[in-house]
Amino acid sequence: MNQGGVALAEPISRRTNEAPVLQVSDLRIVFRTRDTAIHAVNGISFELRPGELLGVVGESGSGKSVTMMSLMKLLPSPPAEIVSGRACLGDRDLLSLPPSEMRKVRGGEVGFIFQDPMTSLNPVFTVGYQLMEPLRKHFGLGRREARMRAIELLSRVGIPSPQDRISDYPHQFSGGMRQRVMIAIALACNPKVLIADEPTTALDVTIQAQILDLVQKLRQEIGMSIIWITHDLGVVAGIADRVMVMYGGLVVESAAVDDLYANPSHPYTRALLETLPRADMSGQERLKSVGGQPPHLTVFPTSCPFAPRCPYAFDRCRSESPPLMSVSQGHDAACWWDVTEGRARDDF
Amino acid sequence: MLNYAIRRLLISVPTLCLISLVIFSLLKMAPGDPLSQLPPSLPPEVRANMRAALGIDEPLFVQYLLWLKQFFVIEPLHGFDVLFGTHFTDGMQRIISWQSRGPVFRIIAERLPQTLLVVGLAYIVGLLIALPIGIVSAYKQYSVFDQIGTFLSMLGLAVPSFFSGVLAILIFAVYLDWLPTIYNTNLIVNSWSSFIEQLRQMAMPVMVLAVQTTASISRYLRSSMLDNLNQDYVRTARAKGMGENVVVLIHVLRNSMIPVVTVIALGLPSIFAGAIVTEQIFKVNGIGELLITAIYANDVPMVQTLAFIFAVLIVVFNLIADLFYGLLDPRIRYD
Amino acid sequence: MFRLKSLLTGGVIATLLVTSAFAKRGADGIVKILNWQAPSMMNPYLAGGDKEVIAASLVLEPLAGYDENGVLFPRLAAEIPTVENGGVAEDLKSITWKLKSGLKWSDGSPVTSKDVVFTANYCMDPKVGCAALAGFQGVDKVEALDDLTVKVTFKEPTGVPYTLFVSQWSPIIQANQFADCLSAKAPTCTEANFYPIGTGPFVVTSFKPNDAIQLKANPNYRDANKPAFAEVNVKGGGDALGAARAVLQTGEYDYALNLQLAPDVLSEMEKGDKGKAGFTFGTTVEFLFMNLTDPSPSLPPEERSTAKHPHPILSDVRVRKALSMALDRARLSDIGYGSMGKPTCDFVPAPPIFAAGSTSCLQQDIPGAKRLLDEAGWRQGPDGIRGKDGEKLKLTLVTTTNPVRNQFQAIIKQWWHDIGVEVELRSIDASVFFGSDPSNPETYSNFYADAQMWANYFSGSDPGAYAESYTCGQSHGSNTPRYCDTNYDALVTELGKTADIEKRGEIVKKLNTILMDSYAIMPLVWRAGVSGISNTLGGTASNAWDSELWNAQDWYRNK
Repeated sequence: MNQGGVALAEPISRRTNEAPVLQVSDLRIVFRTRDTAIHAVNGISFELRPGELLGVVGESGSGKSVTMMSLMKLLPSPPAEIVSGRACLGDRDLLSLPPSEMRKVRGGEVGFIFQDPMTSLNPVFTVGYQLMEPLRKHFGLGRREARMRAIELLSRVGIPSPQDRISDYPHQFSGGMRQRVMIAIALACNPKVLIADEPTTALDVTIQAQILDLVQKLRQEIGMSIIWITHDLGVVAGIADRVMVMYGGLVVESAAVDDLYANPSHPYTRALLETLPRADMSGQERLKSVGGQPPHLTVFPTSCPFAPRCPYAFDRCRSESPPLMSVSQGHDAACWWDVTEGRARDDF
Repeated sequence: MLNYAIRRLLISVPTLCLISLVIFSLLKMAPGDPLSQLPPSLPPEVRANMRAALGIDEPLFVQYLLWLKQFFVIEPLHGFDVLFGTHFTDGMQRIISWQSRGPVFRIIAERLPQTLLVVGLAYIVGLLIALPIGIVSAYKQYSVFDQIGTFLSMLGLAVPSFFSGVLAILIFAVYLDWLPTIYNTNLIVNSWSSFIEQLRQMAMPVMVLAVQTTASISRYLRSSMLDNLNQDYVRTARAKGMGENVVVLIHVLRNSMIPVVTVIALGLPSIFAGAIVTEQIFKVNGIGELLITAIYANDVPMVQTLAFIFAVLIVVFNLIADLFYGLLDPRIRYD
Repeated sequence: MFRLKSLLTGGVIATLLVTSAFAKRGADGIVKILNWQAPSMMNPYLAGGDKEVIAASLVLEPLAGYDENGVLFPRLAAEIPTVENGGVAEDLKSITWKLKSGLKWSDGSPVTSKDVVFTANYCMDPKVGCAALAGFQGVDKVEALDDLTVKVTFKEPTGVPYTLFVSQWSPIIQANQFADCLSAKAPTCTEANFYPIGTGPFVVTSFKPNDAIQLKANPNYRDANKPAFAEVNVKGGGDALGAARAVLQTGEYDYALNLQLAPDVLSEMEKGDKGKAGFTFGTTVEFLFMNLTDPSPSLPPEERSTAKHPHPILSDVRVRKALSMALDRARLSDIGYGSMGKPTCDFVPAPPIFAAGSTSCLQQDIPGAKRLLDEAGWRQGPDGIRGKDGEKLKLTLVTTTNPVRNQFQAIIKQWWHDIGVEVELRSIDASVFFGSDPSNPETYSNFYADAQMWANYFSGSDPGAYAESYTCGQSHGSNTPRYCDTNYDALVTELGKTADIEKRGEIVKKLNTILMDSYAIMPLVWRAGVSGISNTLGGTASNAWDSELWNAQDWYRNK
């Protein structure tokens, strides 16, 4: 039973110096249809440290979900095509793994939680069946063992009287409960990495808070690394260790969470932070939004993709795409303009 | 669920009564005469005599009530008699065919085996071919396999059996001389060679009918599979590390079969109703051929009884389809 | 094998008696017959059509039947009773049949005169609804004189007393088997109607209505050497095309009835060299019937198309003659039937002794027809249509829905238009047209039209009853044109009292002339029946006067 047993988590701070669990470099993804191509991800590099919770923030179409899905080869191909890049889980490159090895990684070493708990569970199978599936596949458990483990998992994610509910169908659960089931499925095989793709977006606010608490709790217990994809900077602020902001298929800023909120170094990040409602806002004050439209990614970007919407944009922004530049220790931003200094960076 | 089924059956009783009345009235309103094949030189008084013997000239409501009594009382009782050796219906008039003066149910019982065998087998064969085609052509949408499958399905749906049947006869019976064109309903399968003979005589009708089943069911399944392949739960299954076989054949197929099973169940009455055209072409002489001959001969009791049985079957299989739906889809419960 | 079977069925003694002859009965295996209009029962007295009667003729036999030349020959009777041999009374009011001695039913019981009397009682029972009742209508009584002798007494002198117990329509049924089937019980006798016990060469072993009949050789058939075939399979269903294919093209079946197909289709199939199409010219003629009474819908229903109101146009014989002259019968026959039809001017085209062989109508004469209409006072109007006294020469022509007949309609319409007659065409489904439902106005017997076209025929080889159907007193069912001529009626009465065949021939030819000169009915095409016969089947002899399968006991397999 303790095959899938829970390793006691070490304090996060102690583990930041260890080798990254997941290291992605220069990932490029193009969606090709008969006569158009969408450059969805245009050369992304990042790493995920053991025990770390990495928040990935960006608006729809920024490439955040596509990036994570592509790592696990969950994008239908065609049309999605990984043009270049490496994604090393430990010492293996996920992108060149054969399908059978890939299936061992999925659900085994990497767990997934998806946005909509209403549709992410198969309506015609009991939650027990769906929860036992990965257990039987990855751990080779028998029916009874898998069932016991499934009950334990359900109780762990806070589902009351799990031995009864294990034979219920997804439609018999509320939205929040379903997302708990999804989390149980994702954690079933003690993954090293949990990828949560906007797991709270479809839930109402009180449920959202419960789920966030649950993830925090489980993270403490299990000690896995988490990639938390969201468009909500507010959510990330509460739980993430580090935040990566994406725009137009590129990482535009990456920093520890406090650093990012204190010193946003990319105009897009700043704009995003300004859209957040604040406790000191008066009732008459309207929420701000980022002006302009997201970019059309029909060609590989040769200029800063945010330039058309950027209040600081100048000539260089429109002719040359900025690389990720170190702003301070552990804080990178991809911008030709130094917002803190109020001038163009000339050291690049 | 049982309650629901009983309630549905009870509700269908008045519907069926109405249907029987409508069938009866329509048959009576339709022009035609069971004696029209007699020589025209036959004296009218002889004809009138024969009409009287058939009971054609009785008042309509008398004929209808008699039929109701025969169908709902005498025939079931007779079935009871046959099963248990009792004699409740001795001397009672069963429903008699005007053509053969034989009991309608005796003839139906005689016709049913070949219809069930040929049409039923064609249905099963058609399904067995349709399921893999539907699954593969959805999974590999727009592939060469899918394109060919689509083309052949369209062909199967578009080509009527009176064409494909005759074409099959010309190819396999006339030119190649492999298969017989006439179905021998008296063939008794009791040896290896008679079994082969049975297979040979069933081959063409089964083939022609199966093509149509295959074409329509594979189309249904394909579109249902396509609907489901893009669902979020499929991504979840893959994210759990399930193999493609499990993803497609368990997760997607189970969901895709829900609407298709309904279509299949609703098609089942047609197995009992037979296939009028195909039975005619290959002289299978099952229920379909019985119906069409009875219609041509204006054999009202036979047509009335058959049409009503079909109505009952359709009602029952509609119910079965609904219940199946409930079994397959846990979201639907009849309480 | 055959010994074993006969031991089981016929008993040891029968086997010992006929052992020497057994080598031939059943030696040729199975013969397969395709009757696509499948028989629905085996009792010709209750049957709804010819198909049942033909199938039943394999099992049930009359006292006498017609051979391929239309000549009566004894079947169960020892000889044909005539005035000469004393079998028919001088006053023509009775006929005495003698049965062959030693005849047995297929169940082994003896055939006696009681069976013959029972058959008469069965058919004459009004509640049975007997299809052959017409043949029994003049009968006063049927009595058994002894075990083998039956005397039939008629109410009136009857020149041709061979209407009952003769031909496929009137076979003898077993009294024992049908004893409980009299009166209202007739329809409930399913076993007897499906599995009649007979004297014919075969016995039913399995009967599936409208599908398949299996028969085996009758172990008690009177000729120990016959039939050569041990089994007969009669299969039904499908259509004429499929049936022709199975005999002529694939050779799966030996004999197919009723192959009414286009001549070129048949000859194409014959190229398979598996079988031949055989044509039999009987008494079937395609006719145009003229309504001599007024079918106007303005008349009260009980007077519509009755002798009370003569037809405003067609009661003039000159108009009728003109209409006939405008027809080219040879072309019609050619277009519609090819070698399966012949143009004719006789309402009795066969057998030869009764056929007038008139050719007067064969020449089409459009100018003559126009002159005749002019004489009759019908003048051509500006639109080409003739008229008289403000009334237009306009007729309706009705027939059944059938490609050949509808083609004929169109051609006739053109010819009649050429002589200034406007024609309106209608076609009605055959089951409605030939129906007898009184509430249905569209029947051939109601004749609510000016002209109608369909085929008429008589069974057997004697046209006596057929000729009688055009006498004044006849109902509209058989006297469709409502024809009435005292000369004709007098001749028919004379015919009824005449037994001599030569004299009867003379009278029928005279009747033919009278009826044809009236132009009340116009023969168009003498039609043949078509059967498909396998090259491996021997002994068949096409017969238009009795059952096609009349001599199935003589059929054999060509070696």
